[in-house]
This record gives sequence, C-alpha cells and structure tokens, in this order.
Amino acid sequence: MVRFQEISKAFGAIRAVDRVSLEIAPAAITILAGADGAGKSTLFKMLVGLVKKDSGAILLNGADVGDDYSRVTSVCGYMPEKFSLYSDLSVEENMDFFAAVQQVPEQRRRELKQRLLERTGMEPFRGRRAGALSGGMKQKLALSTILLSSPQLIILDEPTTGVDPLSRIEFFAIIEELKREGRTIVMSTPYLDEAEKGDHIVLMRKGRVLRQDSIAGLRRAFPARMFRILPRGNVFAAMQGIAADPELAGRAYLRGKFIRCLQEGRENPGARIPHLEMVEEQPTLEDMYIYYERQA
Amino acid sequence: MSGAAPAIEVRDLRKDFGRFQAVKGVSFDVAGGEIVGFLGPNGAGKTTTIKMITGLLKITSGTVRVEGLDIREHPAAARRKMGYMSQKFSLYPLLTALENIDFFAGISGLAPGERRRHAARIRQDLPEAVLRQKVQDIPPGIRQKVAMFVCLMPDPGIILLDEPTSGVDPEARRLFWNDIYGLKTQGKTLLVSTHNLDEAEYCDRILILHNGELIAAGEPDELLRRQGKADIEELFKDAIHDHGQN
Repeated sequence: MVRFQEISKAFGAIRAVDRVSLEIAPAAITILAGADGAGKSTLFKMLVGLVKKDSGAILLNGADVGDDYSRVTSVCGYMPEKFSLYSDLSVEENMDFFAAVQQVPEQRRRELKQRLLERTGMEPFRGRRAGALSGGMKQKLALSTILLSSPQLIILDEPTTGVDPLSRIEFFAIIEELKREGRTIVMSTPYLDEAEKGDHIVLMRKGRVLRQDSIAGLRRAFPARMFRILPRGNVFAAMQGIAADPELAGRAYLRGKFIRCLQEGRENPGARIPHLEMVEEQPTLEDMYIYYERQA
Repeated sequence: MSGAAPAIEVRDLRKDFGRFQAVKGVSFDVAGGEIVGFLGPNGAGKTTTIKMITGLLKITSGTVRVEGLDIREHPAAARRKMGYMSQKFSLYPLLTALENIDFFAGISGLAPGERRRHAARIRQDLPEAVLRQKVQDIPPGIRQKVAMFVCLMPDPGIILLDEPTSGVDPEARRLFWNDIYGLKTQGKTLLVSTHNLDEAEYCDRILILHNGELIAAGEPDELLRRQGKADIEELFKDAIHDHGQN
C-alpha cells in the first residue's frame, strides 16, 4: 500500500533516517522495531507530512505522493507517540470531540462510538475522565479516536511503550482484529517480543534498516543457530569459562539456569561447554537484532 | 529443625487504601541468593508489596520478615539489610555520573574513603569519559547501570528493583541482567519487578500478582511445563484470565 524509496532525513549532523526503503503491505501488520533514535518516528512523520524528507520518494498505491500529503492523510489514522487526549473530558466526550474534528456524520459517529467502546472494553468507563484512565486504557482511547474516521491505513507510533504487559497483549489483539477487517497497520515498538507478532518486521538502528522480513524469513536467513544449554555444575562457573574461551566469548548469555549460545560456524558449543542438556531453539528477534546490531 | 530464615518472608500481607484493597493477603518467601521476578499488570499490587517489604508503606495486616527481622518491630535493622531502586528513582540529570555517586554516597553517610572506593569500583565497569558526562547525556542503559550502582552503595544483601529495565534497549538490557547475575554470584538476593514478560526466564522463580492476589508462583520452565503453556506470555495471559473467572 505504501512504499518508501531511499528516504533520508538529517537534522543537522544527525542522520535520523538514512536511505530507508521498505514496503507496507495492505491488510497486514508491519512493525518497525528498534531502540530510541532508530528513526521510526521520523519515518512516520515524513509519511504524514509533518517532517519534510530530504530525499527519496513515498509511494501510495503505486503513485508518488510528492508534496501532496493530503493523499496519505485522507486515508490514514495517525497516532503519534505522545498522543494528547483531553484529560478533563470524559472518554465519550473525547470521542465526540475527535469525531467532530474529523467531520464524521452524526449517525455514523453514534454507531462507531458504540462499537469501538465495546471492542476496546471501554464501555464501562465511558463517563470516566481521560486523565483518570490507566496508561493502557488511555492508549485504547487514543486508538479509538483515530478509528472514528475509519482509516484504511493505521499508523501507530509506539502505542504500547510504557504500557503494562496485560494492556499490551489486549492492545495487540485489537490490532489483529483490525487486520482481519482488511486494514493496513504500521506500528513501531521498542519491544522485540511484541514485534515478532508482525507480518513484516523492519529492524531499525540509528536511522538505517538492519534487516526486514517476516519472522520466518528472518529466521531462515539468520546465519547462526541458537542453543539452550543446561551446564554441568555451577552456571556462573560455566559462564566464566565461556568468557575466557575466544571461540565462545560474546556469543553466550545467561538466562536463568540456562546458557543461550550462538553457533556461527561448524563448531559445536556443546563440545566446549560441559553440559547436562543442550537443545536447539529458534533465535528470538532480540537474538537477531543484537547480532545484526553488532555487525552494523 | 528448619534451616536459616528466608531472606524475605511475607505472610498474609494486606494493604488497604480506604475501601480499596490493593494487596489481599499475599504470602511468599524469597530464599537467600535467589532471583525472584515479580510480574503483573499495573495495579496488581507489585509496587505496594515492595514498598511494604522495604518499610516505606504501612502494612494494614500480615507480616514481613527480613532475614528473620520483623519490619515493623525492627524497621531500622531490617532496612539496613535491603537496597531498593524504585520505579521512579532518578539520578540528577545535570550532574555527572561521578558527581551523582559522590552526592548519594554523602547522603548515605559513607565516609570519604568509602566514597573513593565506590568511585574506583565503577571506573572498572564504565569508561571515565562516560562517568564525566552529565547524566542527561548518557544512554538510558548506562544511566540505569549507574542508578543501580548508586542504590547499592551501602552494599545490602537483599536487593529490590522495581522495573529496572523500562526503556532500556535490547543489548543494554542483557548487560543489565549480567550485572544482576553478578550480584547473585556475590550471594545477594534479588526481587525484581518487570513489565517485560520475557525477563521471567532470567529469574530463578517468578511470582505473578493480579488484583492484589498471588495467582502463580514457581520456576519459569517448571510452570510452563506443568501448565502446558508455550511461553510466558501465554502463561501470564491465561493465569490472569483463569483468575478473573474464579
């Protein structure tokens, strides 16, 4: 639905986004994952015209957007990282206000409002002041207000950052429902375990794309294998041995009573670490992110 | 005859705020040298429980013993055994890391010789150039490392960390956990609350709290196996769901 072609943006000497190309497929969830400073927010702001790109092109349904960002904003709902609800207005009043701003017809507003309140589980809180909502509920309300205009493209900038794990799970369930309705979703997150749930994952670091693909594709292309090892004897003593072993140093880390170790070549970490059990595991997105980040 | 007292023993702990019951009779032990992860949604009662353990919040009923000492009967002695990094603990952003260390060492009552010893210790871990930067200019992962160092300067045996990895990037998070394991190898006991569910697997045991009640406790892989769950997220989600249905 959207294609970024070699997009760049610098703020002074800082290259916030550096020749980024990626595609946001229709009716799918695309997730931009990376730490602060990766360029995720800048990319979104360029998409909706809040930040002017230095170079590159943005294509919407195959056609260059040029400087006419209304073509994007007319089909999208954008939830910035610091979305501001009116804290003195109730849940319902906020929805009414944003519906009015987006010129949603009265009849449709009533229907949609009710549906969104039910879908997000906010119905019992419709009269509550937005300022008195929990972090997770504020984000659900913010999402509801952008859904009032029935956007085809939904852009969510770190909607789950700082939100507790249960609310994060619930929020993502709503996103998946929107996808099933055929909407296109692009969101950013610093949580790599959350990013694994996306259909297309873009790993970003310091303005550049490290890798992008589906989780299955990323795993297929990952040039290393991950093993979970239950060492014989004391796990900390085993880690000390690993730190002193030039073949293994920097490739293993401790996770509870297990050591997780990357194998890059043919060498078998099990042959160098006395162990009771060794199981090959799928590399997590975090494993892959850290691996590629170190290479960058 | 039982062995030594647990590092932390919590029995029927309750906390009411007016008519709201924040913690509803929670009991658990943390054994010496153990890393226990504290999971739960917002409002589950994690921070309230931690604050009652550390004596920062008045207990409505129940008991907390720290290495056998009742926190209400021997508050000062029990507190000396613990170090606590709160969720909102922050260093002074306009001071450098070293100035912060000096300041917090001063208010902890550490003698100048001790302060110098601490400053020398952190120099082994972090480059001098970083330590001389203003805290506001230091990346979040390193900032958090300095914050933990500052909180643990009095060298407590029991350490309580409330969401120490919020906002920390992936590599820094692993390094932070390395530091936590370093503390464990020194024989320290740790109770760590977190919003990152995957961190449960870094812990020896986890406690899941929901609506002020303890709804699951055990070793993470044992809990997964026993309950037939694919991962911690599924375990967490289903534990909360099942609890809500009871």
